[in-house]
Amino acid sequence: MSQPLKCSLCAEVATVHLSQVVGGKVTKVHLCEACAGKGGAVDPAVFQLADALHAPGPPAELTCPQCGFTDVDFRKRGRLGCPACWEIFGGALSPLLVKVQHETAHVGRAPPGVAPLGQLRQRLAAARTAMAAAITAEDYEVAARLRDEIAGLEATLNPA
Amino acid sequence: MSVQEILADDHDPARASGAQAVVLSTRIRLARNLAGQPFPGWAKAPQRLEITERCITALTELPRFRRGHVLRMAQQTDLDRAVLVERHLVSKELASGQAGAAVISRDQTCSVMINEEDHLRVQVLRPGWHLRGTWNLAEQLDDALAGSLPLAFSESLGYLTACPTNVGTGLRASAMVHLPGLCLSGQVDKVTRALGQDGLAVRGWLGEGTEAAGNIFQISNQQTLGLSEDDILKHLGYWIKHLVEQEWNARRKLALDEGDKFVDRLARSFGVLCHARLLSSAEAMNMLSHLRLACDLGCLPEALRDQVDRLLIEGQPAHVQVRHGSALDSDGRDLRRAAVIRAALQAFPEVGPPTA
Repeated sequence: MSQPLKCSLCAEVATVHLSQVVGGKVTKVHLCEACAGKGGAVDPAVFQLADALHAPGPPAELTCPQCGFTDVDFRKRGRLGCPACWEIFGGALSPLLVKVQHETAHVGRAPPGVAPLGQLRQRLAAARTAMAAAITAEDYEVAARLRDEIAGLEATLNPA
Repeated sequence: MSVQEILADDHDPARASGAQAVVLSTRIRLARNLAGQPFPGWAKAPQRLEITERCITALTELPRFRRGHVLRMAQQTDLDRAVLVERHLVSKELASGQAGAAVISRDQTCSVMINEEDHLRVQVLRPGWHLRGTWNLAEQLDDALAGSLPLAFSESLGYLTACPTNVGTGLRASAMVHLPGLCLSGQVDKVTRALGQDGLAVRGWLGEGTEAAGNIFQISNQQTLGLSEDDILKHLGYWIKHLVEQEWNARRKLALDEGDKFVDRLARSFGVLCHARLLSSAEAMNMLSHLRLACDLGCLPEALRDQVDRLLIEGQPAHVQVRHGSALDSDGRDLRRAAVIRAALQAFPEVGPPTA
């Protein structure tokens, strides 16, 4: 009896088989139900993930010193080994992040006691744009309020 | 602590569901990991067990989980795990592994999955559409968690997760919506396509990889990086408001255009549910969806909607078996499901013309 196909992302038995034909080239991806569902199966991101998995990659070049995870492991599993892996593979993952997330920087909250720098930078950029618009509109009262906000944000982001 | 205790809470008559006509529930999920520890998929079995116990200890000390439930997956029967999945308290992935656990608050509003894809998956689930309130609760819980466990966080990438699809905020905000109007009028594909094009995922009743039985869909954000939590919530909120309006328009149009035929359709589902001796899970869900619609439109008293919602849960395969007290084969489940629904519908009046 033939061995059941294994999921391209984890070691489970694959039950979802996707074929994608681009320019006459057929790419086949085998996924278990959980991994297929994770991408939504109908979600184009699955194919993007499949592209990333099947991209002709060189042998392992990067290894996480903390957990021993390699870039080859990532190509097999689609998941990282530990939080420190993000420092090691972060650069290499940028194109994938752009594909699946459209962005590469965090602008959300941070744990208590840690300044949410991304969020503050985003607010600073928005305040600068709004101040320019207020000056153009000669709304100096609003411009002055925004100037103070900008000064406060700059002081937080670049402490002396 | 057992699944039986969680099920027993349902017998409290004061526990009304609070679900609304279109939005059944609002859910916030945050993916978090412990700094310096391998992610569950890469950790060795002893490491996973150690992480599970460490997280359980930290979580059970939080006020939110005082007198809550601690369920180690390895100690649960297959049926009990399936019950937890059907109640949306844990994911299929957590239920299928041995090293995971779930800590669930007494009122079942907050739950934390330990050692799923990430070390911690914080979840707040509330009936009806309460995006801000649900988020506030999740935020409080997240802060409390960060106070007792060192979380993996990077200034540039945010909360670090095992999968690149969750990194950043780690936030998945979702609404469980009932869209019989859009389904019956053949518009649901068009609407879900539009949601997909604007960055929202549309999934079935039990989340990832499941079918949309009973015209119930889960709508959630996909992007977790480059957007603040506030941006994500606003975007989802905008679409859900729009979806609720579209669903009501479709329902009113159906009722108006089809008149008696529309009421007949709902009444026939009611008739089948009242008399069938065998009901499959999918058939029951689809017909209960019609009954739910009848309650929303005043064809049945609106107060009965909670009972219909309860049957939607009680008609799920694992619930049918656990309430029966033992495992049943497919025919046995269908027989038992039909009996449970027949008994519950005895007190229902006839389906009449819409009043809403």
